[in-house]
Amino acid sequence: MDFFANLIAGFNVALQPINLMFCFLGVFVGTLIGVLPGIGPVGTMAILLPVTYGIPPTSAIIMLAGIYYGAQYGGSTTSILVNIPGEAASVVTTLDGYQMALKGRAGPALGIAAFASFIAGTIAVIGLQLLAPPLVSVALRFGPPEYFSLMILGFVILTYLAQKSMAKALMMAGVGIIMGTVGLDTMTGMPRFTFSIPELLDGVGLAPLAMGLFGISEILLNVEKKIKQELITTKVMGLFPTLEDWRKSIGAILRGTGLGFFLGILPGGGAVLSSFVSYAVEKRVSKNPEKFGKGAIEGVAAPEAANNSAAQGAFIPLLTLGIPANVVMAILLGALMIHNITPGPMLVKEHPQLFWGVISSMYMGNVMLLILNLPLIGLWVQLLRVPYNILFPMILFICVIGAYVINNSTIDVSIMLLFGVVGYLMRKFEYEPAPLVLAYVLAPLLENALRQSLILSGGGFGIFMVRPISAGCLLVAAALLFSSLLPMIRKRREKIVAEAEEDE
Amino acid sequence: MQAERVGALFWLAAGLISIYGSTRLGLGVLREPGSGFLSFLAGCFISLVAIIIFLQTFFREQEAQSKLKALWAEVNWRRPATVSLLTLGFILVLERLGFILAGFFLLLTLFKWMEKFSWKKALIIPAITLGFAYLLFNVFLKATLPKGFFGF
Repeated sequence: MDFFANLIAGFNVALQPINLMFCFLGVFVGTLIGVLPGIGPVGTMAILLPVTYGIPPTSAIIMLAGIYYGAQYGGSTTSILVNIPGEAASVVTTLDGYQMALKGRAGPALGIAAFASFIAGTIAVIGLQLLAPPLVSVALRFGPPEYFSLMILGFVILTYLAQKSMAKALMMAGVGIIMGTVGLDTMTGMPRFTFSIPELLDGVGLAPLAMGLFGISEILLNVEKKIKQELITTKVMGLFPTLEDWRKSIGAILRGTGLGFFLGILPGGGAVLSSFVSYAVEKRVSKNPEKFGKGAIEGVAAPEAANNSAAQGAFIPLLTLGIPANVVMAILLGALMIHNITPGPMLVKEHPQLFWGVISSMYMGNVMLLILNLPLIGLWVQLLRVPYNILFPMILFICVIGAYVINNSTIDVSIMLLFGVVGYLMRKFEYEPAPLVLAYVLAPLLENALRQSLILSGGGFGIFMVRPISAGCLLVAAALLFSSLLPMIRKRREKIVAEAEEDE
Repeated sequence: MQAERVGALFWLAAGLISIYGSTRLGLGVLREPGSGFLSFLAGCFISLVAIIIFLQTFFREQEAQSKLKALWAEVNWRRPATVSLLTLGFILVLERLGFILAGFFLLLTLFKWMEKFSWKKALIIPAITLGFAYLLFNVFLKATLPKGFFGF
């Protein structure tokens, strides 16, 4: 009964004209940036973060969430038509999607990508609605030691699932923690690592940091060499998949949905990992694995379902525990905090309108995305014809001005440029920026939890081991760290990463 | 020099600087951790992992490791360097010249000098971009854009 009551309450909020408008704006911008190579949801959400100051918090989160799952839809269009993934989560879609397009089946490939995304997105929202309330009741029993241990477990899972070196990912999490401590200490009021720059007293801004590490560094990497745009020249026709296509895809969509949802909940799991895993699973369960990579429709349906489902699943830890599972969720956390709303178990009690409104808006968003991505496919194809050497100066300029208007200060723009160059070098040296940003966002929460726990225990670290949930989290984290050192597991992990890189 | 080793040394230095900075902030005691406590732990952790990565480079196969030069071997590194320097120049003159002039010069330089567009395209595209940015930030988002000493 609760489920339907919450659903109705949520729809009452989501169907308000202002929220419908911001939902549409979010999914439209999401599709747009998903289609355009070189600017992802992280950079876009970071640019739009200051916008959320002036609008109601529910509308703001509805819009930002729409950008995230909208980008997963849009990313598939470039993968299929240009062989360039608009989004990291759509990398796998290029393998069979582009092959289908070369064989004159671009229409069904785009169609199944949109339908798979819609089905997965909708099922995942139902999962989110069913799973969130019981998790909230568990989370209400959490104290500072549990939060601290949970965050440590989150960091370890995130780095364990990192695509490159686990050691480097762990180190980046450490750097992120130091970045997160910059500014005034909330307990003592002491300035930390501010180098006498007054603008740093409030800390390094999330928006310039994320825009630099993800947006600017991506531009710098892309301008190194000319991007080959192999746009399919034939007309995109017959968007509705045939019955045979559906027969082949439906199992893949459902498996992708389930896998994506649970991987999305894991810290660091998210859309990228789930798309790779679901593709690998489909290849394994298929009777004709040799057809994968040559235009198998299941190879499009499964990863597209998985990345959308994961995008929705990632909301669970943020909305119930207040812990972001990935960088995009970290930005959403920042947006909530701008409005003095602390995500976590109390969110559903203190702000039920926001909680259920945002979840219900995702149903509307999925319908809007289906409409945007099928009838308007021609518009997105036209956009793909704009060469990257025209796009990148425009994207760069929007980023620079976006960073400036946050505080009307060139310090933020300088920070963004600095982290853009740092992010570029990090990618060159194979250091991933995601653990850094996630740790940066979690650092204040981690520090508070650690300090409060130590004060509670009178200075003893034993407090983390005598409380069952906390001890459980730390033991799992230790087991993961230990297992990554075992030669057999390490080789298997390296093999998976190598396979993923080969697929890319 | 090997790229992996250079990276490890850089982060080792960063970790050590963080440890030094944290001790100056004050570590406090376990019963009441000070302002530098968490960053001290993070600094120690970074330094430790950097040392492990540095030492690992001596035990790995030589051919598996890329040299520092190889990272930029098949790409034109001048282009990202130019974009970064032009953006830095833009930041330095933005508040003096104002949003329109500074933005126009940045975009014109990128389109004409770097991307070798015709004068017609190199003038029209920046004008459209500036107009779009003005509408987005000034009209839609109600943000204040720098006017510079010319007043626009």
